[in-house]
Amino acid sequence: MKIVQIAGYLGSGKTTLVIALGKEISGAGYKVAILVNEVGEVPVDGKVIQEFGLTVKDIGGGCICCQVAGNLLHTLKALSMGVKPDFIIIEPTGMAVPNAVRDVMKPAAGKLDLTMGPTIVLLDTGRFEKLLSYETLKRLVSVQLKDADVIALSKVDSVSAEQRLKAEAAAHEINPAARVIGLSTFTKEGVPEVIAAMKDMVIA
Amino acid sequence: MTSKERVMKLLKGEKVSPPPIFSGMGNVVVPVLDKYGIVFSRAHRDAELMAKAAGGTYKEFCFECAVVPFDLGVEAEALGAKMNYYDDVEGLLYPTVQEKCVKVAEDVVIPADLENAGRIPVVTGAIKAMKKEFGEEVAIGAYVLGPFTLAGQVMELDELYEESFLDPEKIGKILERLSDVIIRVAKIYRDAGADYITLREMGGTSDVMSPKSFRSLIKPHVMRIISEMPRPVVLHICGDTNAIIQDMAECGADALSVDQKNKLAETRQKVGPNVVLLGNFDPVKVLHKGNPADVGPAVLECITNGADGIWPGCDLWPEVPAENMSAMMKAFSK
Repeated sequence: MKIVQIAGYLGSGKTTLVIALGKEISGAGYKVAILVNEVGEVPVDGKVIQEFGLTVKDIGGGCICCQVAGNLLHTLKALSMGVKPDFIIIEPTGMAVPNAVRDVMKPAAGKLDLTMGPTIVLLDTGRFEKLLSYETLKRLVSVQLKDADVIALSKVDSVSAEQRLKAEAAAHEINPAARVIGLSTFTKEGVPEVIAAMKDMVIA
Repeated sequence: MTSKERVMKLLKGEKVSPPPIFSGMGNVVVPVLDKYGIVFSRAHRDAELMAKAAGGTYKEFCFECAVVPFDLGVEAEALGAKMNYYDDVEGLLYPTVQEKCVKVAEDVVIPADLENAGRIPVVTGAIKAMKKEFGEEVAIGAYVLGPFTLAGQVMELDELYEESFLDPEKIGKILERLSDVIIRVAKIYRDAGADYITLREMGGTSDVMSPKSFRSLIKPHVMRIISEMPRPVVLHICGDTNAIIQDMAECGADALSVDQKNKLAETRQKVGPNVVLLGNFDPVKVLHKGNPADVGPAVLECITNGADGIWPGCDLWPEVPAENMSAMMKAFSK
């Protein structure tokens, strides 16, 4: 089983991407489980779940560092004993710090035969400058980007080429080591590259 | 000295040796739930079950406290937020707020009968039951959320964070009203018999909030709340708080609780010898996932690094092995 985290600030397009990835990857014959903070917020109805063979699990609420951590470990163990998905896509709350989620999963990885895949952090190409200018938000957004293995510049179809370049530059500056991908779930740009990263990247 | 006397002495600022091992945050554990036949999702809504679950951690393991509630939604629900208790989901999931209820300060309507709003009477009922059963032996704790954390429970998070920057006056008014609620709930819990209250301001963590934002947005309200709360009060903020630990000390609580991310030795150096520090072993990595042999040293390390009392860094994760709980409580027995 391989775990991939899709993180990023609220409204960056995480849920849309998670659903798109779930459909594409399960359509290619893999078993996919999706873990979210609030199942009710995931627009995946029973038909989609059945059609694409997705498993959707709730990791519930509470303090990310402990209550959600415990929920996550419990769910990973259940999945490893039951469904045994090929990919587990975790979408934590938009306020989550990706490394905190990763720190929870790492010790479990060895015991449960899990492979740590990349942390993919979405950055809204149209809003990033605003978010990074807010004193109350810039730390969170920066920390999320710094924790990324892949930075997906979301909604690139809705911005100019110049704006996209600015977003790329900002992403590279905050996290020079991250792979940066332009993404649009509407046009499907970048989705194959995100899937390739999910399949190819193994994080120690 | 009874366990209660030890804890209360510590919270007055006096040295206690060996230090008490307790908490001010969630302390419900599965070995107790299983032994007493308590379903986790039910324990949040039934005073008797809540008291049994919290008290069981003391009775079965001699954990030096019994703390209620277990989740972070009590105040929000009392203000009108709708909760999801995951009754139909397999596994142990903490309740979440399903529908938020605040956009402006005027939306924060404090019920005239706050004592009986939402699950407040469940919590006070549990406190009273525990007080009656073992209130002389062990300290009974309760917790309330800090103003910014509570705001995150009743408002959409993106609105809270963005409006905090764009319209701080608006958010300030909301935090002011929520502070009134928190003070009143704390008094209700103390009147019911709680011996100490923990103010949990997780939303102020330096993981997501710059020190500058903490000082301007949150600290003034936390200071006001603590000044009006019945004592003793412990202030807890998650994450690495060393960048704001001096600000936390200035908030006026009787003790500060820090989580496992804090380099505790640095925390002690920053606040000096007179601040009561509680912490800070990792409740997931050490107590839940660790081996029993690792637990004792982790506890002792807290003292070596400057803690006055041993607390987990956050809530006890319920699925803690009984042998690890026992190992924790025997840490000072050698």
